[in-house]
Amino acid sequence: MAGPAATLEPSSSHERLPGAPVLEMRDIARAFGSTQALDGVSLSLFPGEIHALLGENGAGKSTLIKIMTGVQQPDRGEMRIDGRPVRVSSSQDGQRLGVAAIYQEPMIFPDLSVAENIFIGHRDRGVRVDHGKTQREAEAVLARLGVSLDVGEPARGLTLAQQQTVEIAKAISLKVRVLIMDEPTASLSAHEVRQLFRIVAALKAEGVAILFISHRMEEVFEIADRVTILRDGRWISTSPRGELTPAAAIRGMVGREVVELFKRERTAPGAVRLAVRDLHKEGVFSGVSFEVRAGEVLGFAGLVGARRTDVGLALFGVAPAERGSVELDGAPISVRSPQEATRLGIAYSTEDRRQLGLVMPLSITANITLPSLERYLGAFGLVRRSAERETANSFRDRLRIRAPSVETPAAALSGGNQQKVVLSKWLETKPKVLILDEPTRGIDVGAKVEVHQLIDELAAQGMAIIMISSDLPEVLAMSDRILVMREGRQVAIIDHADASQERVLGAAMGQGGDLLADEPGVDLIAGTAAAATLDLLASGEVDPELLLRDPAAPPADGDRA
Amino acid sequence: MSADIRRRLIGWEGLLLVFLVVVLGFNMATNPRYLEIGNQVNLFTLGIEKSIVILVMAFVIMTGEIDLSVASMMGLAAAVVAALFEQGVPMEIAVLVALAVGLGFGLINGFFVAIVGIPSLAVTLAGYIGFRGLARLLVEDRSVGSFPDWFTALGQDGLLGPITGPMLLYLVMAILAVTIMHFTGFGRSTIVIGNSVSVARFSGVRVARVKIAIFAASGLIAALAGVLIAARLGAVRASTADGFELDIITVVLLGGVSIFGGSGTMIGVLLSSILVLNLRNGLVIAGITGNTQTGIIGLLLILSVLVPNLVGAGRERFRRRAADRAAPPPGTSGEGVSVRPSGG
Amino acid sequence: MDALLRRFRPEQLRELILLLVIVGMVVFFATQIDQYLAARPVNRITTGLAITAVVAVGQVLVVLTRNIDLSVGSSVGLVAYVVGTLLTRWTEMPPLVAVGLSVGIGVLLGAINGLLVAYGRVPSIIATLGTLALYRVVLVEFSGAKTVTTADLPDWLNDIPSANVASFEGYDLRVMVAVALVAVIIGQLMLRYLSFGRRLYAIGSNPDAARVSGLPARRDVFLAFTLCGALAGLAGFMFLVRFGNITVTAAQGLELQVVAAVVVGGVAIAGGSGSMVGAFMGVLLIEILQQSLLRWAEISEFVKDAILGLLILLAVATDTVVLGRLRERWVRIRRRDQEERLAAAPGEAADVR
Repeated sequence: MAGPAATLEPSSSHERLPGAPVLEMRDIARAFGSTQALDGVSLSLFPGEIHALLGENGAGKSTLIKIMTGVQQPDRGEMRIDGRPVRVSSSQDGQRLGVAAIYQEPMIFPDLSVAENIFIGHRDRGVRVDHGKTQREAEAVLARLGVSLDVGEPARGLTLAQQQTVEIAKAISLKVRVLIMDEPTASLSAHEVRQLFRIVAALKAEGVAILFISHRMEEVFEIADRVTILRDGRWISTSPRGELTPAAAIRGMVGREVVELFKRERTAPGAVRLAVRDLHKEGVFSGVSFEVRAGEVLGFAGLVGARRTDVGLALFGVAPAERGSVELDGAPISVRSPQEATRLGIAYSTEDRRQLGLVMPLSITANITLPSLERYLGAFGLVRRSAERETANSFRDRLRIRAPSVETPAAALSGGNQQKVVLSKWLETKPKVLILDEPTRGIDVGAKVEVHQLIDELAAQGMAIIMISSDLPEVLAMSDRILVMREGRQVAIIDHADASQERVLGAAMGQGGDLLADEPGVDLIAGTAAAATLDLLASGEVDPELLLRDPAAPPADGDRA
Repeated sequence: MSADIRRRLIGWEGLLLVFLVVVLGFNMATNPRYLEIGNQVNLFTLGIEKSIVILVMAFVIMTGEIDLSVASMMGLAAAVVAALFEQGVPMEIAVLVALAVGLGFGLINGFFVAIVGIPSLAVTLAGYIGFRGLARLLVEDRSVGSFPDWFTALGQDGLLGPITGPMLLYLVMAILAVTIMHFTGFGRSTIVIGNSVSVARFSGVRVARVKIAIFAASGLIAALAGVLIAARLGAVRASTADGFELDIITVVLLGGVSIFGGSGTMIGVLLSSILVLNLRNGLVIAGITGNTQTGIIGLLLILSVLVPNLVGAGRERFRRRAADRAAPPPGTSGEGVSVRPSGG
Repeated sequence: MDALLRRFRPEQLRELILLLVIVGMVVFFATQIDQYLAARPVNRITTGLAITAVVAVGQVLVVLTRNIDLSVGSSVGLVAYVVGTLLTRWTEMPPLVAVGLSVGIGVLLGAINGLLVAYGRVPSIIATLGTLALYRVVLVEFSGAKTVTTADLPDWLNDIPSANVASFEGYDLRVMVAVALVAVIIGQLMLRYLSFGRRLYAIGSNPDAARVSGLPARRDVFLAFTLCGALAGLAGFMFLVRFGNITVTAAQGLELQVVAAVVVGGVAIAGGSGSMVGAFMGVLLIEILQQSLLRWAEISEFVKDAILGLLILLAVATDTVVLGRLRERWVRIRRRDQEERLAAAPGEAADVR
């Protein structure tokens, strides 16, 4: 694996930019439990610079932003503004120092006017509100961004892009000097992205330093002056845009040593379990078509905002798709609720254990039997406690859940053991299709290997498994095939034999063609559903049944999921 | 859940037990015959209707909702019985109609909360006012009485020695409530919903159905309690059971059920039920009258939420401080750094 | 409908509808009841709504922040009783001191609620249900079950109810009504033109954003409760003035009347939207309806509370279902209009890549 194409220390690159850095992060480290989220990361931002921050999910970008804005504190390292060390212990501190962040989901007061939304956080505007003045100033601020909005109207009616604009206006009205934009383009249309870039250019011209985080490679290479790459919490490189290519950037992002934690023995998969055709949900995802066979693990790869989880939720009936067909064992199904999904034999283990997965104060037993509780009810709806406990104990042994007893509350378990309880809970529904969303996020290496072993066992027993994961090595190690999504669209299905980190990430970032152009023997052009078919052809492991179907074709009959 | 019960017994429930012993001790000191069966039965008889409604309110609050309309429903059911009786409708029918009214309005409450999605606070506030209004419409400012003997006997006479029918009913219902809450699938669903509606949905729990069932039960049982109070008092006014919701909600919260739902035990609720009855009795012994007692109950209500909150906040602060000590943040204070306006 | 929504925001439309309902109601009763619009009954209705209106102004501040104050009835009763008793003992007390004392006690009672809710994190419904009972008990204890009677009160006080600010052919603007109108107007101005008022909307509109934006949410909620208490104190004084005879049950149930008025007036129970003018119209609607029903022979006077409950449920259900739809529609219309404007502007279209 090649190293980063261009590596420049922040200090050496700063000669090329005028003036001194407005913000410097020096040797920042931060750990959460046993995970080192950031380890010795340094970064400087100069006035009037657009600085892109690249990294996979979990590379430490969010933690870095949180430290910059005072939401979290570093364990080590220092932050300097205008060369002076500062301590930012709250978002108000950040605001005072001129550091602001805007996120994918803007924080808007729907009942207040646009102008008020811009100025409500200001402490220095006195007790009286002069609506005329506020609106004039709001218009002035928006004009600086080259935008015109009806500032007197409530913010309720704004589009996401407009809300973002209001957030930016709020930030610059607070005399922001460093603006952090976390995936600002993820939910915007092409036109809105243009608009946003004009705004960013206006800010740049005013001398604001911008830290721009995006998974869209072409955007980064369009507007960034410099690009910093993080990987696994470490600083990898900072390079001027001209000295970096998309391929090199992707290599920098994934260029880790691949330690295969677990080696799967892949066997020939059985009959098609789940067949999904042209699944569509307006504004969320579209054109998702795939099959999973008994005994097969289908990995779902993609970056944040790729909408993989939404596909999982649609299949599980939480947020059903609007169009498209789903067949289970050849029979068309339409899943409208989790109850139905469970009854049909589709289980979904969530990535969010705390909010969606477990009832924390309840025992391991109660959590495991919850979705299949009806099977544990005896006369008068009484819960058959001994049967329940027996089941829980058998899962405890089988999955090696480490807990004093099955009566221990879920809250008292470690992340890995909680994950095993979530898995048990869904395995107990005896599913035919198991959707695993980030099955190993936030758990330690030992537990991770155990979960991988379990997935392998389940597949060997003939379960069809969809594994949504942002952990590329995991996807590569576990999947029989890898479905790559990008911004709500399925862009590729790659057989594991042809899969590499670069290739999967390239497809996920919309750089499949460019990146692979210099790698002989692969002719994949990611970005269309046809590419998936092409890819299968190229892999040599052609599934004729799949090729007979045109993934882009409308559903065969009236059974719409 | 038995482990859960054991754990809690040394916590909140233990505290309630201690309080109960203190109150009983105080009452014994002033009245040596306090614990005698006859006295305790009298005591229970006085609060029996509230005690019954408390059982179902525990379920309502356990799901994270609230029902402010129960006392008004008690009044309405009593008024329905009285008004129908006045019109010459047989008492049995009158009682059935009252129960049907309770069930019907309970279903309506449940519909608005679980299907339409209006906060239960608002829905049952409307019921709180409206049901009382309907009661007023039915019996106006009269006092309706002279019910058939069998009806008043139901509320007043001992059935098993000094123990009245409603008391027996309460005993059965209390056992049922503990069983349903802690040993059935329905109870499990109730607790899960109170903990997290999203986890419940994801796990295939029928959230709306459970909530509607609980609100319907709340209406029905409040109506039953209203009928019983009419039987015990032998007379009904529009203001019957006025203000009872305060006691009922207080007992449930004091029993350790979280106002946000999802935690607490039925045992705790039963304990606090007994505690509050004896406390009220003790206050009577101490010469503190009805209205003032209500104030003390109000204070108890606030404290039963405030104290756990303050303790929780204190613990949280302690934990955070400990965490800060473990990892001292670097860098000097940001004070004194001037914030210049950005150029341009 | 679309044309209407282009002119008015859904919230304004709701207030407009409320106004039409009130007018329609008045017209209806005028055809049913003799002398309905004569000076005396009109004066009675306006006088009757003064106290409710003042308390409602305070309640709006609280409800906007996604809270509720159920203790206002007890606060009004307590203040009326305490100040009344003091006036019977110290008849020389200057009027301004009496008013100041009333407001002062109200502030104290409101501050207790505010402390419990904002800093003690007790849900407002629980906290104020508790203080509803508690304040009433303080009143009972304080009174020793005695009552304040008109005869013992100073003359200047007993003269206030009939005092007029202005009068036109028998239609009076009583001092009490004027006070209520001033309270509503000041309240409305405060909500509109003070940053504190705007923050109340913000807090109720999106509590998370309020926290992230660094708004002093706790302090503002505390202040809202305190102001609500102050207004309840003022209303307590008005209660004393109006009724003179104060028993321990004074103003019992007033909180329901007020909450009903506020909700019917379009102040969202979930916070963030509504206005003083709307709430005042709510007071107006309920007062007119109740008073008119009393005079309308067709219907029992006991129907009052049943109607109140139904009105609350109707208002809340309408807000949840209808207002929600109207808002969606309004947003759609605005977006569509914007797109059309964008399409019409030639320079813009070229930007789409």
